[in-house]
Amino acid sequence: MEEKVMIERFTRSQRVQHFLLLISFIILIITGLALKFHDSWLGKLVITLEGGVIARGIFHRFAAVLLIFVAIYHFFYIIFTRYAHEEFLLMLPKFKDFKDAFQNVAFTLGLSSEHPKIDKYAPQEKFQYWAVVAGSFLMIITGLVLWYQTQAMLVLPKWVIDITRVMHSYQGVIIAVVILLWHLYIVHLNPKRFPMSRIWIDGKVSLEELKVEHPLEYERKYQDIADEKN
Amino acid sequence: MKKIRIIISLCFFLISLPVHGLTQELPSNQECRHCHSNPNLKKVLPDGKVISEYVDFDLFYKSVHKKQACVYCHIDATNFPCKNLQKVNCQRCHYKGNLAGAPDLIKYKEYGESVHGRATALGDVKAPMCQDCHGSHYIFDKADTLSRTNKEHIPQTCGACHLNIYDIYRISVHGEALRKKHILAAPSCADCHGEHNIKEHTDPKSKVFLTQVSVTCAKCHANMELIKKYDIPVEPVETYRESFHGVAIKFGAKTVANCSSCHEVHAIFKSDDPRSSIYVDNIPKTCGKCHPGASENFAKGKIHINPAKKEAGIIYYVSQFFKYLTLSVMFALIIYIILDLRKKIKVRRTGEE
Repeated sequence: MEEKVMIERFTRSQRVQHFLLLISFIILIITGLALKFHDSWLGKLVITLEGGVIARGIFHRFAAVLLIFVAIYHFFYIIFTRYAHEEFLLMLPKFKDFKDAFQNVAFTLGLSSEHPKIDKYAPQEKFQYWAVVAGSFLMIITGLVLWYQTQAMLVLPKWVIDITRVMHSYQGVIIAVVILLWHLYIVHLNPKRFPMSRIWIDGKVSLEELKVEHPLEYERKYQDIADEKN
Repeated sequence: MKKIRIIISLCFFLISLPVHGLTQELPSNQECRHCHSNPNLKKVLPDGKVISEYVDFDLFYKSVHKKQACVYCHIDATNFPCKNLQKVNCQRCHYKGNLAGAPDLIKYKEYGESVHGRATALGDVKAPMCQDCHGSHYIFDKADTLSRTNKEHIPQTCGACHLNIYDIYRISVHGEALRKKHILAAPSCADCHGEHNIKEHTDPKSKVFLTQVSVTCAKCHANMELIKKYDIPVEPVETYRESFHGVAIKFGAKTVANCSSCHEVHAIFKSDDPRSSIYVDNIPKTCGKCHPGASENFAKGKIHINPAKKEAGIIYYVSQFFKYLTLSVMFALIIYIILDLRKKIKVRRTGEE
């Protein structure tokens, strides 16, 4: 039996960052949605399980601090490490992404028989990354305004705080929806990966999978390995 | 003949012995009236306090006890001059199953557990007993405007002891409505604090305990009939319940604002009244009670807003935008999943073939 050649797609630092982000997101979403849907039985149950509204708030803020920490760490990670710098450049949206995304839609609808040729990050992956960046940024800003509202209101009138609250609340729902329906579908429920892809634990993909899903990266980096093997 | 007379009179004497001989003849109301209809009849208490002992019999004969004799209540008023009479015990007649036909309202238990009842039981002579609130000689049905427990009179009745509070209440929006406009739907003391079951505000069973305030206020401020009749703003209750304060209170938090934290307890005024705690200039101070350093920006914007209603202005539009954005994101992702699954199944099938 031929052994699969495994390639490290995500480094340990990236995996740890993802894990911390995951922890903070789960806590934030559970505690946040419980407050938003406090009238439903589920909301009531969750708030009770969390130990009341005050404890809920403490959990939420604890997770928020974790999220802020991950965000700052990620920022410095990109600035100060060569690897992350390169990754960041790969992650930047390019014109090709729009073409690829368009073709992807066409492929999914059955209008085109060809899959777009993808480098390390596919357009939907880039979109999700930037959605997380933008979403986290907005949630952190609005969250801090609400957390320090007395101080914020030295500058901002009350109606801005009210808008902030509405935004924070709905953005949280949108982020939860995107993660549940999109991200978790891709990595868990997708028939190809069910029950889950192990990549978030070991960071590895097989060379074959890489060849199919990220052909440009494959050609760029691993063509020689594959040649050797053959 | 003389013998027969003696025997007959002896018989009469023996028959009437239980009535006349052992007990003295009780004084009739008429007898009491001899002295007590004198408006100048006074008594000096050991502490030097002078109290009137005058009884307005004309008024008494209009009261619910008009058919009762003085001595039915003043049971120790058997000798003339009646001195050092004990306080009347209403429970002599007003108990369950009494034969006198006195209405039994079984309020003693409630009263006994109330702040007044417990103080009385502990020997506080200032704490009110039945007659302090209901009156002594002039008790009327509470629908009667002469009654001390008539809605319009309750503030004065409670104010007899709670003078400082009465002073504030009478000029508040509720006090003015009841006193000046005679709006009987406006709350007197009892509507918020209860009647016989009044508890300290620190007692969780109290109607004005910090978690109960919004429930108590909502009895009127969320009552559709009253709202329509008196044009009371309805949004406050709903929006409070949806606000962080309201949610936190609902789940038992004790450090968040209830209605009276902002609107005051007794000194409640309309928002356009400069005396009001929620008058625009007073808002920073009011919010600052819990949010130290609250600026005048706290007053810039409505407090009770419902983002789902157009009156909320820009907040409504932002809210609507996000609502439809959320729905469309959800819709798009569901479509995406369906299409993606369909494609994957197709690819797998053709791959297998």
